[in-house]
Amino acid sequence: MPMFYIHQTSCISPQQTFDSVDISVLHQPVEHKLKVIEPVATGIPMGTLRRMSKAVRMGVMAALPLLQDGTEPAGIIIGTANAGMEDCFYFLKQMVDYNEGLLTPGNFVQSTPNALASQLSMLKQNHGYNITHVHLGLAFENAMTDAGMMIKENPRNNYLLGAVDDIPSYNYILNSLAGWFKKEPFALEDLYTLQTPGSIAGEGTAMFLVNGNPEDAIAQLRAVETIHTEEEEAVKQRLKYFLEKNLINGEEIDVLITGENGDSRLLHYYLACEEMMPHTTGIARFKHMCGEYPTATAMALWLGCYILQKNPVPSHIIKKSFSKKNCKTILIYNNYKGGQHSFILLSVPGCF
Amino acid sequence: MGLITAIGDSAAKNRMALSLGKCGISTLELFPSKYANSLPCGEIKIGTQILAQKLNATEPGITRTTLLALHAFEEAILDSKLTVEQLSSFDTALIGASTVGGMCLTDELYMDAQKTENGSEYINSYDCSSVTMYLQQRYKMAGTISTINTACSSSANAIMYGARLIKNGLAKRAIVGGADSLAKFTINGFNALHILSGERCTPFDERRKGLNLGEGAAFIVLEREEDIDNKKVYAELTGYFNSNDAFHPSSLSDEGFGPYLSMKGALDSAKLTPADIGFINAHGTGTENNDLVESRAMLQLFTTPPPFASTKSNIGHTLGAAGAIEAVYSLLNLHYQELYPGLNFSQPIAETGLMPVDLYTKTTLQHVMSNSFGFGGNCTSLIFSKS
Repeated sequence: MPMFYIHQTSCISPQQTFDSVDISVLHQPVEHKLKVIEPVATGIPMGTLRRMSKAVRMGVMAALPLLQDGTEPAGIIIGTANAGMEDCFYFLKQMVDYNEGLLTPGNFVQSTPNALASQLSMLKQNHGYNITHVHLGLAFENAMTDAGMMIKENPRNNYLLGAVDDIPSYNYILNSLAGWFKKEPFALEDLYTLQTPGSIAGEGTAMFLVNGNPEDAIAQLRAVETIHTEEEEAVKQRLKYFLEKNLINGEEIDVLITGENGDSRLLHYYLACEEMMPHTTGIARFKHMCGEYPTATAMALWLGCYILQKNPVPSHIIKKSFSKKNCKTILIYNNYKGGQHSFILLSVPGCF
Repeated sequence: MGLITAIGDSAAKNRMALSLGKCGISTLELFPSKYANSLPCGEIKIGTQILAQKLNATEPGITRTTLLALHAFEEAILDSKLTVEQLSSFDTALIGASTVGGMCLTDELYMDAQKTENGSEYINSYDCSSVTMYLQQRYKMAGTISTINTACSSSANAIMYGARLIKNGLAKRAIVGGADSLAKFTINGFNALHILSGERCTPFDERRKGLNLGEGAAFIVLEREEDIDNKKVYAELTGYFNSNDAFHPSSLSDEGFGPYLSMKGALDSAKLTPADIGFINAHGTGTENNDLVESRAMLQLFTTPPPFASTKSNIGHTLGAAGAIEAVYSLLNLHYQELYPGLNFSQPIAETGLMPVDLYTKTTLQHVMSNSFGFGGNCTSLIFSKS
């Protein structure tokens, strides 16, 4: 039994992934950041739109196409680390600038990470299950686990599952101070070859309409596994266990999508996982498209669905080539800041 | 179970203080704020350094929120006699919750955000997940780990998520809870919304003037019924439900749709009827909006509501920790078969006429409901039952 079937996907990223998808040409970073191509906001009342932070706005814009035609999900399940942070700092600044004086509460109210899930419930008058997982680099993985349990408990329901993170300027500063982004200027094409510490800052949102029905589904999400560790051996062991548990006899991974991000300190984890794959498995990378952010695996899942749907695969994502025709099963491996690792297994529906 | 609040640094001390009707809401002493004297808070009068030393957690970058979480977590571990091996096993989940996280260090955060180099020791500690992550690292936990932030219902949802992980076979046991510490950020935020009271809060009183913020942490160890053997058991988690009010970012709808749905859903999930509930640990913040709306929803669902009260009159509103702290209080209600008095009540809300329990009462309790409602319309109700 898979965890759930994915029926619709939507993604706003630094690449052309929304509306008419075209990821053949790479969009470049601006000021060392891979920033999303924000669509013109439609379908949101002006007064509401004005109060939304960028993260909430792009999350809502990505979600709305999945909630058309009277689709009423039984729940909204979001993973995010940073949603609300932009407002958080605006309020902080107000507080310092006005020495705890008379402050306007707008930023404070919008500063909680559950702003996206709650904004969606308000816009759609959705009284269903509503949750926001904020566990940094595993926030989206927990949202997927949550959605999987919800569907097992209520097999006939639809759920909106998604993730969002943006790059609020203060957050960029904090992560830069902590050494997570490359300081030197570089061309995006060189991200994986520089062999220096740090990655490139990024942002994005991806939304999925999921349920327990295999009919007309895009993909089946078979399993998610997470582990907190900095030991490469523990990661390998968990991957071995994950594959043994979830792959059917003789089944092989067609494509491994890794979260390789150009940070020389993290490369060994990715290489270790690549080495555990049979020689027939192709390898794809995606962080040059969206940059590094805590819920980037939502972008990877979107890309996995895109590949399984037999869309044209651009050469810039390929690290080791694979047969696009027969691609049935994809494994995503990602790690965030070296300590949070996840494995996500997805396949075309109905094949296992 | 384990907890720390303004009325005590253990479950036993909290029970004693609740029984005696003690209030921990007072003048802010441990950090400077313009409002230290005018807005009373449920502050835990133990300095952050002392907490760190007591807990042997003096590594750099640890925040007060994390220390409060660790305090409650360690008590819960000790109480449940979990071994080091059990803690670090694949099938032990840890689900935390926080809304403030490392943001309690408001000034440090502001300074760090202006820098281009030499960040402070707290550079990786500001977000909510840093609290859970510290516990994970300290106890080398390898199961499912999450942090939930649904504002003031965060830790009620952490309890629900942990229980569902067990139910779905994704964990054998789950350590669930939450922590929040007082911060200039939240004091100013709630003050800007004009919902903080300059006096001790008076939940469900006609003349209520708003809420008092508090701080604290609580953790509960959940295990499957078949694994209980002869372990100490406080109660059974029999019902839970999460619903969204879908009305306004910072206030509840007049008719209390979300609160009604979460209470009703929890009853349905526990296969209970309204008449089965012996006590409601209400959200009862003491704000104009919450107490009226929660009362209306209770009246709609129960017609004649069972005894209810809000412990926020003892410890203030501990935000992301509130759901877990009040869950522990519900366990105390059930385990000791007693009700604790809500404080500062004098006059019922004219429209509803509902009166909270205001005396310590020995009683016979089978099922207790605990409500948590948060910003963004996030409403969650839990039901605990005598095992």
